[in-house]
Amino acid sequence: MIYEGLSTILLKGNPHGRILRFENLDELKEYRDKNCLEVIIVNPAIIMGDPGALGSVKKHFRKAQWVGLVAAVFSDSLLQLFDARIQITDTPGNINSTIARLTEENCICADDSPVEELSDREKEVLIELVHGLSNKEIADKLHISTHTVISHRKNISQKAGIKSLSGLTIYAITQNIISIEDIQSGG
Amino acid sequence: MYLTKKTYVKEQMKLAGLLFENPYLMLMMQHFGLNFVVQDKSVEQVCRENDINKDVFTAIANLYNGFQELDSVHFTRTDIPSVISFLKNSHQYYKDEKYPEIKALIDEIARVNSTPEIKLIEQFFDEYFHEVIDHLEYEDEVAFPYFEKLAEEGESKQLADYSARVYRDHHTDIESKIMELKKLLLKHIPLHQDKTLRRRLIISLFELEYDLTIHYAIEEDLLIPLINHFEKTPDRG
Repeated sequence: MIYEGLSTILLKGNPHGRILRFENLDELKEYRDKNCLEVIIVNPAIIMGDPGALGSVKKHFRKAQWVGLVAAVFSDSLLQLFDARIQITDTPGNINSTIARLTEENCICADDSPVEELSDREKEVLIELVHGLSNKEIADKLHISTHTVISHRKNISQKAGIKSLSGLTIYAITQNIISIEDIQSGG
Repeated sequence: MYLTKKTYVKEQMKLAGLLFENPYLMLMMQHFGLNFVVQDKSVEQVCRENDINKDVFTAIANLYNGFQELDSVHFTRTDIPSVISFLKNSHQYYKDEKYPEIKALIDEIARVNSTPEIKLIEQFFDEYFHEVIDHLEYEDEVAFPYFEKLAEEGESKQLADYSARVYRDHHTDIESKIMELKKLLLKHIPLHQDKTLRRRLIISLFELEYDLTIHYAIEEDLLIPLINHFEKTPDRG
């Protein structure tokens, strides 16, 4: 019942969020996408018998903030294990501001506003790449170091989300960086 | 309510309930060589009737449901053949069903959308398809027979020129190009009368990627450690 109520409050306060429910710490520990969990809300009662268990699970979730959901009286030393606490008596507004504060401090959803447009230099490097030039040849042609070419390539792949040369070629055409005739003529 | 996590699979659960929650488990059943119409049977019952180690089954089912527990599960030498057979059946599915399905969709799209990018997508996919076939054939013809021999005889000495290490070095991921295809088709290449076909293609790519990701995890995190273990201690399972 607490879960239903809490998830409704959280989703209202944070419509883009996703909520997952785990029965116990063991189940949580085996969850695959560990880095996607931003905030983990725990009922302190489940670790009362073995507070050390929380520490060993925490190690696996370096990016998460831990929140105790306090519905009974617990010792201070137990509550201190959490980064923040939600009281069962908190208003929905309080709960959401606690969560918002934690997620701001620890924003792993940086991909909401990524820069995806390639810089002019990156476009130049991409053009030479799809024409089949090596890093060294690109460096010589553009009068930059090989090291710089490699770092441009990394940024291009990151921004486009594409690593393979044939994939980048198609990408370059869709972005009007090169035309299809360019590659068909063999550059 | 927006809840995407799937159930953590345990042996006493009813299999049909799990299949209703995550239909991809039907595919898993097929890879195990099992029928997915199982009435009211539990995971444990189905495994017992089909002579599959329930720990192997639940570990893989949990991978499909988003849990990675492979490190903590203890497998034995006798599990190697069922894992290999699972992987071989998956190969069959990729080669005979999934890749041809994707290829046919791309061909159809090329007929209605004549933008030059689609031609390049065809080429991209054909090249990729060849890579995949090479990869799968290498496993079917070189790696798996060795692993099967190891499982049967518990002896690896006469095959000293091959090992899990060689296999690991050969083991490249074949799913990153699917990601690239999805990116190009979903984000960049303009639609031109191919909306429905494009959606079917993209969804099919998602399905393939999902299965390949798990396939790769089974090979890397289950099969290789298992083989490593028996190479070190060839006499005892």
